[in-house]
Amino acid sequence: MGVVDKHSLLESFSVGRGVVKPSRKLYIVEPGNVRRVFEALIEKFGYGGFYLSTIVGTDLKDEGRIRLDYYIVLLPEEETVVLRTFIPRENPVIDSLVDILPGALSGECETHDLLGVVFRGNPFLKRGFFAPRDLVEKGEYPLRKDSGV
Amino acid sequence: MSQVKQSGRAGYRIIRYSPWLVHFNTGACNGCDIEVLATITPVYDPERFGVKLAPSIRHGDILVVTGAVTKKAAERLKILYDQMPCPKFVIAVGACAIDGGVFSKSYSVVGGVDRVVPVAAYVPGCPPRPEAILDGIAKLLDLIKKGEVVNDGCSGQA
Repeated sequence: MGVVDKHSLLESFSVGRGVVKPSRKLYIVEPGNVRRVFEALIEKFGYGGFYLSTIVGTDLKDEGRIRLDYYIVLLPEEETVVLRTFIPRENPVIDSLVDILPGALSGECETHDLLGVVFRGNPFLKRGFFAPRDLVEKGEYPLRKDSGV
Repeated sequence: MSQVKQSGRAGYRIIRYSPWLVHFNTGACNGCDIEVLATITPVYDPERFGVKLAPSIRHGDILVVTGAVTKKAAERLKILYDQMPCPKFVIAVGACAIDGGVFSKSYSVVGGVDRVVPVAAYVPGCPPRPEAILDGIAKLLDLIKKGEVVNDGCSGQA
């Protein structure tokens, strides 16, 4: 099973393609499919076939949605690919990966604390670990474009 | 100021030849930390001034602070400072420790070290050269020797 199989698996879920600097392959998927992609990756290639490097959240205020980028490193080729999804800004909820992929813990907790994305099924989400306490008391998410900080 | 000069001289003799450093990073990018670590290597030989790292904050005489002080680090910095014995001096190393640097307006940053604890010496630079840090320490020791140092943390009563 080479890297081509991994790309074709990601391709089968994707609704769009692209390139992220520096020449990383980008697969856009539906938010409801993100968990299924990772389940399929684990099932076909095992935990040794890839790892989740980080989760990056970006607030696209003008488009009314939040962009989530999952950076995946394919092993043993060490090739980084990006799994991108968009969730609505008013109701930013997506399925958690932490029960099938423990490495998602830090990325999900940080994205929740700074951007307010709710990862459904993650029992470790809380405010105030990354964000300062005064912002938490005001209920603000610092990486939101309209937070005013 | 003059009161510090009068009452401080005798007490400061305790640390004049053996100022022990404690290094604390309050949110630096690690650039200044690498330079501080380079400063205490034998290449720059700080032990000719008696300078060495203290094994604990409770044995420290000089607190070397690097990095912009974040809101979370500010609480820890105050706790560390309160644990130091008198007399105690703080050196702010790098542009961020002086006034927050490029991070000064960030939502998570208080500002410079002097917003939290009294500072005796500032070393500018981004990052400062090891020679500059050592020069800052030596100049502070010179001020201690002359009894002209301000902000000993104990109102000159040490």
